[in-house]
Amino acid sequence: MIYLFQVLNGIGIGMLYFLLAVGLSVIFGLLQFVNFAHGAFYLLGAYLTYDLTSRGLSFWAAMPIATLIVAGAAALIEALLLHRIYKLPHSFHILVTVGLALMIQELTIIVWGPLGGSVAPPAGLTGVVMLGDFIYPQYRLFTIAFTAVLAALLWWLLEGTRLGAVVRGGSESSDNMALLGYNTLRINTAVFGFGAGLAGLAGALAAPIRGVEPFMGIEALSVAFVVVVIGGMGSYTGALVAGLLVGVTQSVMAAIWPEGARLMIYIGMALVIALMPRGLLGRA
Amino acid sequence: MMHRRSFLSCSSLAAVSLAAPGLFTRAHAAGDALKIGIPVPISGAFAANGQFATMGALMAAEEVTQAIGREVSTIDLDTEGKPATAVRKVQDAMAQDGVGLFAGGILSSESLAMGKEVARGNAVLMTTAGADEITGVDCNRGTFRWSVPTYGAINETVRPLIDLLPNAKRWYTITPQYVFGDGLLNAAKDVFAEKGVEHLGNSYHSLTDKEFSGYLTNAIAAQPDVLLLLNFGAQSSDTLRQAVSFGLKERMTIVVAWASGLEQFEGLGADICDGVYFGAQYWHAADAPANRELVAKVQEKHGINPNYSFAGSYLCSKLLLDAAVKVDSTDGGAVAGVLEGLTYDGLTGQEEIRAADHQVIKEYYLLKGKAKDAMADKDDYADIVSSGKSFLSPEEAGCKMS
Repeated sequence: MIYLFQVLNGIGIGMLYFLLAVGLSVIFGLLQFVNFAHGAFYLLGAYLTYDLTSRGLSFWAAMPIATLIVAGAAALIEALLLHRIYKLPHSFHILVTVGLALMIQELTIIVWGPLGGSVAPPAGLTGVVMLGDFIYPQYRLFTIAFTAVLAALLWWLLEGTRLGAVVRGGSESSDNMALLGYNTLRINTAVFGFGAGLAGLAGALAAPIRGVEPFMGIEALSVAFVVVVIGGMGSYTGALVAGLLVGVTQSVMAAIWPEGARLMIYIGMALVIALMPRGLLGRA
Repeated sequence: MMHRRSFLSCSSLAAVSLAAPGLFTRAHAAGDALKIGIPVPISGAFAANGQFATMGALMAAEEVTQAIGREVSTIDLDTEGKPATAVRKVQDAMAQDGVGLFAGGILSSESLAMGKEVARGNAVLMTTAGADEITGVDCNRGTFRWSVPTYGAINETVRPLIDLLPNAKRWYTITPQYVFGDGLLNAAKDVFAEKGVEHLGNSYHSLTDKEFSGYLTNAIAAQPDVLLLLNFGAQSSDTLRQAVSFGLKERMTIVVAWASGLEQFEGLGADICDGVYFGAQYWHAADAPANRELVAKVQEKHGINPNYSFAGSYLCSKLLLDAAVKVDSTDGGAVAGVLEGLTYDGLTGQEEIRAADHQVIKEYYLLKGKAKDAMADKDDYADIVSSGKSFLSPEEAGCKMS
């Protein structure tokens, strides 16, 4: 019975991991850009939610506002800075985005202090659901449902709309899209802002579960990379499958071999790199 | 206009500076100033503790400067919470800056590593880390410890709670897998066995874990009366926060054996702390003359109440500096000679540095979080339930002073 609940719990964790990683995957898929500041956007989303709810705003208002602010800030950073380094080797992407991440992290400490804080779940979702002898927080159930709906919407947006077709076309060949008359610079900015906004949304959703502290972005980044590497760089479906796989593995291992729960996800990543270098669902 | 190449050069420099703030240590060193190194994590997961620790050390240095009319300088050494980094910083400080006094080491692993290095360099380290080994099997002439070790922390939290809650016979533990966590777990198992309490199980986790719901599900399955958290800092906050969201506070008693006190309560908030038991090395409201004095000074200077990281670092620095001033030397042997057997008015009352193992004999507190509407002021998060001094003898701890 405990394994069943660990699987349920793992799905909850995995959906959050998916949300965290999908933005990174979309950005890489379109821009071929390795964004090490992704965790910092997650951090920013969480802290903005913390700040807004501390000022008395409801969580339901704070979450979209935080997401939009993060998306807007990321788009601005892309337009002013990052688009200048797309054509440079990946080492430059890493250098600049790591610097950006550290700057956001230090700014967080300056603005909100080094101690961190807690965000209460929204009213109506503060309780728990009893399933026999087991307990599951209502808020975590909400995040599973919310992220599942969001995942379906994202899939439809990317696969079923003209906008998605443009984005996918850009990921195949931005030069061809430019020849067809599309403003690829704007598309890139919008996609980067969108991807970072998803990280901000993940941070906002995670804040009532994990609270906020200035170094939460580093852990989030490492999880996002594990998910993206396992799922396949640039693959939406891969991010979903890998997010769930990592979440369930981590949770079930907590029951079987607790001290190795964290280790197992990295072992899994190493195996995927060795056996399937493009990831489970990565493109050739 | 800045060219791309120049911009990248600047960005790189900025990134390196931010990535390794410890490369650029803050040193007020000048001439023949009395120097003290503060090896604490200023970046990384334990940075909040380290930043308060540097503030505490600075206050001690300023007091000593004022008292002796000679400059006392603190040198910040960012250990990043990593033993290897801590050792390298301490080695550099001894070799390049001639530092002989060190107050710091928040994590047991870094303190154990630094202690050996300091002893080798004839310097002296006073730490607040918890593992029994520091003043036990790995004790040495150069290492002193202010905090109550894991044995005492468990004996002053688990033992009184077993007496306080006679019906709570089934306990479950969640433990970080490293020397500190194992120390707490082993001490807890000994008390459980002695008191006839059933230990239903334990979930180990790594030092990098942030997600504890899997371990909490294990605990729920075991149906304990008490959930004992044996982790520290941000990890114990994360575990507690997630345990409360799982509704465990209403279903069992939750105990955090080693809390950081005020800084942790501020991060958690009163709603989460309410009804939870915490073990604490220091509490600003403790009724001790030296503590009241420190609280008044910190409130005047910084407008806050001192927390554990601040207070511990302040006291360690002050003891080391006073001893160095007394012998007019930072020679490890001479400073250690002053400290061994010293009795003084400490922050928890009368405190004594045991000569045989360099362990400070002091109080450890059991606190209980109180409801928000019962708080007298913004920092009044908890009441002291009990306090006491529990220590292994140097022989029991296995200390053979080298």
